[in-house]
Amino acid sequence: MQIIRPPEVHPVIVIGSGASGGMAAWNLTQHGINVLLLDAGDKFDRSKFWTHVQPWEAQERVARGERPPQFFLDTKEQPYLTPEGRPFDLTRVWGHGGKTNVWGRVSLRYSEMDLKAAERDGWEIPWPISYAELAPYYDRVEQLIGVCGGTDDSEVLPGSKFLQPPPAPRCGERLLEKGMHKVGIPVVAGRRANMTRRTRGFPACHYCGNCGAGCDTASFFCSADHLLPEAMQTGRLEIRSNAVVGRILTDENGLARGVQYFDRHTGAERQALAQVIVVGASCVDSTRLLLNSKSERHPNGLGNGSDVIGRYLCEQIRLNATGFFPVLAGTATRNDRGIGGEHIYMPRFNHRPGRKRDYLRGFGAQFWNTGASTSGAHAGSERIPGFGAALKREIKRRHPAWFEIHPFGEVLPYAHNRITVDPARVDKYGVPLAKIDYQIGDNERKMTEHMADTIEEIVQAAGGELVNYRRGQLDAMGSAIHEHGTCRMGAEAKRSALNRFNQMHEVKNVFVVDGSSFPNAAEKNPTLTILALSWRASDYLADEIKRGNL
Amino acid sequence: MDRLTVTRRQALRTLGHAAAGAAASSLWVESLSASSRQQVHAPETRAAVAATDWKPTVLTAHQNQTVVILTELIIPETDTPGAKATNVNRFIDRVLAVAKPGDREAFLRGLAWIDQRSQVLFGAAFAGTDAANQTTLLTRLSTEGNPDKEDPIGLDFFRAIKSMTINGYYSTEIGLRRELGDSGRLFQTVSQGCDHPEHSN
Repeated sequence: MQIIRPPEVHPVIVIGSGASGGMAAWNLTQHGINVLLLDAGDKFDRSKFWTHVQPWEAQERVARGERPPQFFLDTKEQPYLTPEGRPFDLTRVWGHGGKTNVWGRVSLRYSEMDLKAAERDGWEIPWPISYAELAPYYDRVEQLIGVCGGTDDSEVLPGSKFLQPPPAPRCGERLLEKGMHKVGIPVVAGRRANMTRRTRGFPACHYCGNCGAGCDTASFFCSADHLLPEAMQTGRLEIRSNAVVGRILTDENGLARGVQYFDRHTGAERQALAQVIVVGASCVDSTRLLLNSKSERHPNGLGNGSDVIGRYLCEQIRLNATGFFPVLAGTATRNDRGIGGEHIYMPRFNHRPGRKRDYLRGFGAQFWNTGASTSGAHAGSERIPGFGAALKREIKRRHPAWFEIHPFGEVLPYAHNRITVDPARVDKYGVPLAKIDYQIGDNERKMTEHMADTIEEIVQAAGGELVNYRRGQLDAMGSAIHEHGTCRMGAEAKRSALNRFNQMHEVKNVFVVDGSSFPNAAEKNPTLTILALSWRASDYLADEIKRGNL
Repeated sequence: MDRLTVTRRQALRTLGHAAAGAAASSLWVESLSASSRQQVHAPETRAAVAATDWKPTVLTAHQNQTVVILTELIIPETDTPGAKATNVNRFIDRVLAVAKPGDREAFLRGLAWIDQRSQVLFGAAFAGTDAANQTTLLTRLSTEGNPDKEDPIGLDFFRAIKSMTINGYYSTEIGLRRELGDSGRLFQTVSQGCDHPEHSN
């Protein structure tokens, strides 16, 4: 006789283990709630990262059969669709910690300006929460993950009280600062989740600058190092790896009852049941999941009676300008790898008194690769004329003198910038693929002009020379890797999918906690805000469970 | 995210966008340049460059010999070794091996053009003519606004091999540490910032 045992119903299933899902799992287990965490990939072994492998040292390692971790998901394994002539670069990491294994670590709080932009200019909807409500969570996140930065707060970048000391600017960054001061363009210390002090048992940054290879000492925040082990220690977390979630299952009342998932390698279909589901699979994949979770009660995708899910995809536009400072050419090469990114930041300023603009929202700027490149000659070296000993001499002279300027600008949320699913095109598990249809408009084109003007003004004031400059040539769409907006929060259920606690208006036991929940993108890097939002949402979720409402 | 995490696909696409709207090199040149920047970090490529039993996979013996000469002309031995000593030809062979077929064919057409041009100008293939003639030909190709635009592929080819040579050479220990003076230190207790008062005042 076969004994049919009732399947286990988990109190909470969290989908995805990056910044959003990792935070939710960590916080819920701290609250005493048992969590099943599903990740589409495996654990990356930190001891096998190639953080400290110089390019020429790879040979012996390859000979021993070693390979660096393959963080990025290959589109051959998991494709996505774009319309002809409108490419969109989507970067995905399947594996514990998700993109936090290799993220850029820039950690900028959203301010009241960002959260209430729509109230001022009337474009789409404001956030249903204020900075004052989010600030305590930013405080906690910064203390938890270790963010360095200055004390130079402003209406654009508030709340520096828990920041660790910032690294000193490099020579080129000093010159940029000096030029920017001259023309009244603001510049502050960069804010980045590199720990400049030992934090919660993790060693401080050792300034090798190779953060993009993953940090083998966990000296910058990665969910897999900084959240998941502590959650495991509570005894309340189960992680199921290589679990590719295809759909959220619902009951006759339209509430979620579990998920359908596939073993990444065998394709075997499985189910897991839960009372509450937290979605943190990153913007595009969470949206795809919701749209694919159709049922009689949810014919337009889960919780999508409003038809906003999938719409309002907003990323950011970027320019990329390279130049060098003649006064630094020929100086000694310095080991100024630092925290693996720029040490200064240009906050948004176009809203300030005396400034004019003919477009909505704004832009800030980063300054990558300023200082001596650590992986070879700077790409600008290829543009130095000539060949031979003279070329070799000039490449060496300019080596310490390069700088780059990278403005990041907000792209407005447009209803037609949209993720849909195509039932005719499925992945190897039979799940419809996401189709990303995204383009910028006049507002962004006008902003691009102002971004280019700003680059030119800074370079001129700082005494730099631009190399191979192509005014207004934007980076590929999607390449900021800051997707937002397709499952947005809002005060009104007609115009948004989530309430002010990231809970679906139409499906009370589903929470969406990643970048898809942002009503707009701002010009800032989103991860710090994702962490704060997910912490806040999971606090509320835990309280609701304790109150017996979920 | 930052540039360190940019995938090869993205780098190529970014450059593709940039090149489409500017009077720049042909797309295949941009594509090979971007690919050579990525291949610097590719384990198989570094292993191929350092292999004890290396044989070219794309280049013929004659093409390889020509590439060795060209790369050494671009980055010659000075007080530090040049491209030849760091096997940049092997790096280029590997970049070509993983390149899109169209990019690879364009490069090889350019390499053949060099020989044809050398034949017309000096009566011998590039590898068979003397260093002065070789330098003369490269000088024409590297001159901004070169009036002798006999064949645009020559100018494109020179840009492509120059960028591949730079990326191959300066990612070696000789190029990065000895020539550019990188300390190679990867664990530091402080981040060295600017300590020149003249840079901030």
